[in-house]
Amino acid sequence: MNNNPNEIKKICVNVRKKILELIYYGQSGHIGPSLSIVEILVNIYFNHIDFENVNRNRLILSKGHAAPALYAIFDQLGLLKKDEIKTLRKLGSRLQGHPDKRKLDLLDAGTGALGQGLSIAIGYSLGFKLKNLDNNVFCILGDGEIQEGQIWEAAMYIGTHQLNNIITFIDGNKFQNEYSIAETLPVKNLRGKWESFGFEYLEINGHDNHELHKINQNFILKKFNKPLLVYCNTVKGRGIPFMENNNSYHHIKEMKEKDFNAAMKEVIKND
Amino acid sequence: MIKSLRDAFGEKLVSEGEKIQNILAISCDLRNTCKLGSFFKKFPNRSFEIGIAEANAIGIAAGLSFLGFRPFVASFGSFITGKNIEIRATISYNLAPVVIVGTHGGLIGADGATQAALQDIAVMRSIPDIEIFQPCSPIDVEKVLEYVVRSNKPTYLRIGRNEIKEFFDHDHKFKIGLGNIIKNGSKNLIISSGPMVRNCIDAIRHFDNNQGDYGLLNLTSLKPLNENFLINTILPYDKVVVVEDHLIEGGIGSIVSEVITKHGINKTVYRHGLDNEFIESDTPEKLAKKYKLDSFGIFEYLNGLP
Repeated sequence: MNNNPNEIKKICVNVRKKILELIYYGQSGHIGPSLSIVEILVNIYFNHIDFENVNRNRLILSKGHAAPALYAIFDQLGLLKKDEIKTLRKLGSRLQGHPDKRKLDLLDAGTGALGQGLSIAIGYSLGFKLKNLDNNVFCILGDGEIQEGQIWEAAMYIGTHQLNNIITFIDGNKFQNEYSIAETLPVKNLRGKWESFGFEYLEINGHDNHELHKINQNFILKKFNKPLLVYCNTVKGRGIPFMENNNSYHHIKEMKEKDFNAAMKEVIKND
Repeated sequence: MIKSLRDAFGEKLVSEGEKIQNILAISCDLRNTCKLGSFFKKFPNRSFEIGIAEANAIGIAAGLSFLGFRPFVASFGSFITGKNIEIRATISYNLAPVVIVGTHGGLIGADGATQAALQDIAVMRSIPDIEIFQPCSPIDVEKVLEYVVRSNKPTYLRIGRNEIKEFFDHDHKFKIGLGNIIKNGSKNLIISSGPMVRNCIDAIRHFDNNQGDYGLLNLTSLKPLNENFLINTILPYDKVVVVEDHLIEGGIGSIVSEVITKHGINKTVYRHGLDNEFIESDTPEKLAKKYKLDSFGIFEYLNGLP
């Protein structure tokens, strides 16, 4: 368990390097939406999930297309085999295009068809309570993903039953598959919507390790009165300036060596 | 003994629930209709009312199953199997050991087509690694449940609301993949499943002199299905007739036809069921008559075969 935000910052740089490697070797993948959730995931995995404990806390990456971020973290944690990150999206690999729990048992859920992860998180939440365990569930949604109706079925249930062992993050990178959120379905007043469903709504900088650390810590210590929705302002493609806020990097179908090198150079600048 | 299949399901789930602590019940605002009500009363802590939100219920059940529970999510078969992508991506893709219970299959009565599961078997068997069972009598329901509560596999259970006069005794065994030969015959074999089996038994009785022509095979285990068992059962017969309260497109007739084709057997399969249609509203008896799925209708159908 690593609580030092300076250490966490270094880990985030390494994770971004690994995301680049994964997608470079795989020659395809959702790079922009993987880079936007690095801090959110690292702060959870490196502080609150202990893979050596069978009763560990769980994390559901409902926006499953950000799988490379997850795989990069597993590798950083030493949970993947040597050079396994070179197998992304290849036949026989445990690292499928979207997370596959059948192949990779480190996952708490295989995801990819959007909108379904928050319901799975509720299942874990209720299961922990049934077993009298005080474990917690972390769930990451995309800001486009919340257009799926099932998210609001789940929100209604969490809010109604005030499930206090789930924390829900929205990766607010402002883009979705084809266009920006603003060009697709610019839903207004997210705060009012989640609050009316019974949540406490927090809005933070999703790349700020101090803020993420503080919220997770207070959540674990049950310092909030209501279920939490943490809207994270993030940057799609974060860490690589030519990818930032450029939705042509939502999903890429190839990565040339010179682009890989240029991107790597940008990530290393922050090291 | 006459009992509805769903009542037999509800009672057996409670008695198994007493023995097996990880069984849970999940309702989508149909807990009494789907006969989870007794389980809810007996085990309130192991029962969850999700409301009219089947997709959410499927996801919640999956999460619970990952922690070692055996959740039974029940709703009308039409509603719950309508959640195709949730069953596919949350349950099947993750091999989540959830039991989906679909009631109100076939000729349900006055509520009409929207509430009736007419394509559920076709939908569910197209999704990988989900076992599909449709018990045909109250005792068969009990025997299937004894398997299902222990199997720990993703499962679809199609449970009729029909009142069925029992035709098995308590020695009856459910064996995964195998069917039950209810009656041997000398010429033609009827294959059926679920509540239609009882109607087929009665249909054969309408024949005066040639009852002996017809054999009857019940298939409770629709997936998996032991193909060698099916082929060996079919081989001695001339004609194969499949009777089902489901669309013939993708249903039990399709299953039988696929196995016969795969094994290169030269038999005609006559498929008697609903054909590319929705049912109408009226009493189950009148519907069965209209669609020729009551015992007289089946008898007529058999008589009219070439």
